[in-house]
Amino acid sequence: MAIVVKLDDLLHAKRMTLTDLSDRIGITLANLSILKTGKAKAMRFSTLEAICTELECQPGDLLAFETER
Amino acid sequence: MPSTNQTLLRATRGLLWLMLALVIAAALTLVGVAIAVVVAWPNVVAKIQHMPELVDASTMRLPLGILLLLLIAVLGVAAYILRQLQAMVASASRDPFIIENAWRLRRIGWSLVTIQLLALPVHLMAANIAKPGSEFSEMGGLSASSLLAILLAFVLAAVFEQGAAMRDELEGTV
Repeated sequence: MAIVVKLDDLLHAKRMTLTDLSDRIGITLANLSILKTGKAKAMRFSTLEAICTELECQPGDLLAFETER
Repeated sequence: MPSTNQTLLRATRGLLWLMLALVIAAALTLVGVAIAVVVAWPNVVAKIQHMPELVDASTMRLPLGILLLLLIAVLGVAAYILRQLQAMVASASRDPFIIENAWRLRRIGWSLVTIQLLALPVHLMAANIAKPGSEFSEMGGLSASSLLAILLAFVLAAVFEQGAAMRDELEGTV
């Protein structure tokens, strides 16, 4: 997929686990796991806002576009 | 799911089983008659020769045999449609917008086309063995409601296909 979710890097930088994030933003661990592994087909603005608020980042820090070869 | 919907689903499930049982019973009866036509034709003639709506019983062995085979085939297809409907009703209590239901509806549509195609020779054979104007001679043929049902099945299949795709996308939304 051309859109890459860099949730792992952000969590690592904040020394936070996926379970911690799930507890803090109220999104299920299963859904966050889908997002982290790049299996999500779409993302709600509310989810993006919650993650960015908690991890103190910009949407561009979480998502990146990579050209497929 | 609301309890009225659950009750409706249960009633539909029961009705479909009842209809399937009736279709199977009718098919078995016709198989019995078809066997009698093959192995005990004189007895069959003796039974049906006084029926006022039939033409000369002694000359109708072949058309009657073909008619019985066609009707058994129609009932077989009807049973297949009922099985597809049963599977759809079973999925309705969980999640009806799945791609399998779109495939089932498309199969129902093609089954209805098959029944309609079988109904044409059924009419031909019935007209062959029954007196013109009798109820028996009107059996089969093209039916506007059947054509509408075919159209409805294919349109619903397309709707379910779209619904399943939307559900799939929604499930992948975080």
